Amino acid sequence: MASSTPQAWRFPDLTTAIVVVILAVMPFLVPTTLASQVAIFATATLSVTLLLGSVGLLSFGQGLYLGFGAYLTGLLLRDAGLGLLPTLVLATTAGTVLAGLLGILMVRRQGVYFVMLTLAFAQMGYFAMLSLKDITGGENGLTDLPRTMSLAGLPIGSPLSFYLLTAGAFLLAFLAVQRLNASPFGSVLTAIRENEGRSEAMGYDVKRYKIAAVAIAGGIAGLAGGLHAAFLGFVPPNDIELEISQRILVMAIIGGVGSPAGALVGSVFYTLVSEALSELWARWMALIALLLIAIVLYLPGGLWSIGRRLAERFGGRSADA
Amino acid sequence: MSMQLLLFQVLNGLGIGMIYFLLSVGLTLIFGLMRFVNFAHGAFYLVAAYIAFALTRWTGSIWLSLVIAPLAVAALAMVVERVLLRHTYRMPHEAQILITFAIALLMQEIVILIFGPLGQNVPVPSALSGIVFLGPYVYPAYRLFVVGVAVLVAIALWLVVEKTKLGSVLRAGSESAEMVGLLGINVDRVFMATFALGGALAGLAGVLFAPIRGVEPFMSVEALGIAFVVIVVGGLGTLSGALVGGLLIGLVQSIMSTLWPEGAQLMIYAAMALVILARPAGLLGRF
Repeated sequence: MASSTPQAWRFPDLTTAIVVVILAVMPFLVPTTLASQVAIFATATLSVTLLLGSVGLLSFGQGLYLGFGAYLTGLLLRDAGLGLLPTLVLATTAGTVLAGLLGILMVRRQGVYFVMLTLAFAQMGYFAMLSLKDITGGENGLTDLPRTMSLAGLPIGSPLSFYLLTAGAFLLAFLAVQRLNASPFGSVLTAIRENEGRSEAMGYDVKRYKIAAVAIAGGIAGLAGGLHAAFLGFVPPNDIELEISQRILVMAIIGGVGSPAGALVGSVFYTLVSEALSELWARWMALIALLLIAIVLYLPGGLWSIGRRLAERFGGRSADA
Repeated sequence: MSMQLLLFQVLNGLGIGMIYFLLSVGLTLIFGLMRFVNFAHGAFYLVAAYIAFALTRWTGSIWLSLVIAPLAVAALAMVVERVLLRHTYRMPHEAQILITFAIALLMQEIVILIFGPLGQNVPVPSALSGIVFLGPYVYPAYRLFVVGVAVLVAIALWLVVEKTKLGSVLRAGSESAEMVGLLGINVDRVFMATFALGGALAGLAGVLFAPIRGVEPFMSVEALGIAFVVIVVGGLGTLSGALVGGLLIGLVQSIMSTLWPEGAQLMIYAAMALVILARPAGLLGRF
């Protein structure tokens, strides 16, 4: 949801510092592989946060680009014998290109119709994956990815090295989104979110800005997919299913889309809650659903906005998003 | 594919299409009146299917649930509308989509909590367990019954929308709910009644479907997907759109399933995207 008060984006700011601190302390507080999972899903969620928070576009289909990046990564690592770094760059590029191309079509529609298009394309991606089972492995997923990889000469295999990779990737994407929001380009996106018609009347090519935002978000999702494939050592078909699009949307809403930091907060919360509760009570999703309802009704800024409100109350001045 | 087989697939597709109509029409009525996208529609269908499952196990046949489940789901829809959805009418579309999505998730989890995650069968009522000969074709009697109910529902809805006071309010409301309110009609009550009707229709579809496909907690997701495709292809918010969309998607699925099974699903979502892009008001819609 678009927040009703336009805010000035700044870069770098207190939020940047908070995110760096969270990333730095996380491996000391939770198991390293769990921390990697948090970082991967935070990256995926960032693509939803960027679209919904900065431009006001709700996507039910970011899993399409995540899945595309994951399958491409799997194929490149396994069959093309490509290194991890060029593979991740290609996965990001592929996500950007696919989202950019579909974006050209999708931005022709607004509101509900835009949401429906994201849904339709995501479903097409899933069924295309099932149809091409010779390449994708169909319902079995893509298996037998190499377990040892290196990134610019450094071996990537231990849990800690994976965390450094995934956290680094998230930080990079996060800084890029923050920088983008603070740029003149970001100001136009904010203007489109607040009032699309007025932005158009002011002479901005609204469609082109939206396509760019959709493409960038697709690239971030593609990167997250690539990381997920490398992290798991295989590509589960779930990576391109509607369910993953919904999961990262839920993370984005819970964390809050008013700031890119909300993506990290949402992923931390969701991943840790699911880890802690799934042993105790298999139906923990019911609690997530209740929380989601409460957030939509009473806390549109998500969990991140609680911190900001507290900071405003006690800090005296506003900590910028 | 022989002519004989093609004709059978067409017949079969029309049957599936009528069921799809039943599944989708409640969603389109709510959207038509309120511009409200109800992501919980599939969950209403799910809850009714499970009520049918439970009642059938208890009473031995599905007949009782045919009445009780749609009423129960209509009541559920009314409560959900009054307690939660009402607060989102003034929020952006995104909030409505998200809250109904969350409600759907909650209902799915509750269903799993009560009935477990595994699929279950619902027996076809014994009176309709046979087959019927339609010329040279064999058709399951129960399916024919379901198609018959769907046709009756279509006729009844058409009469309600075109001939009754409620229908005129619905039609006027889909043009401008605000104006209807200014004319002294209690729009809040109309909204609640529409949600109840939408829920009852989803519930009826859930009960009738249960013996055909069994019940499982994730059936709502599949149903919601199909319902979206149907109402988008036919035209969001119109009764005739749901009918034509349902029949068309039923036909495409039935014919494609013999030619290229994996492609059938791909095709219907491609059709959905194509219609939104080329004719956003749907194949029948005015724009």
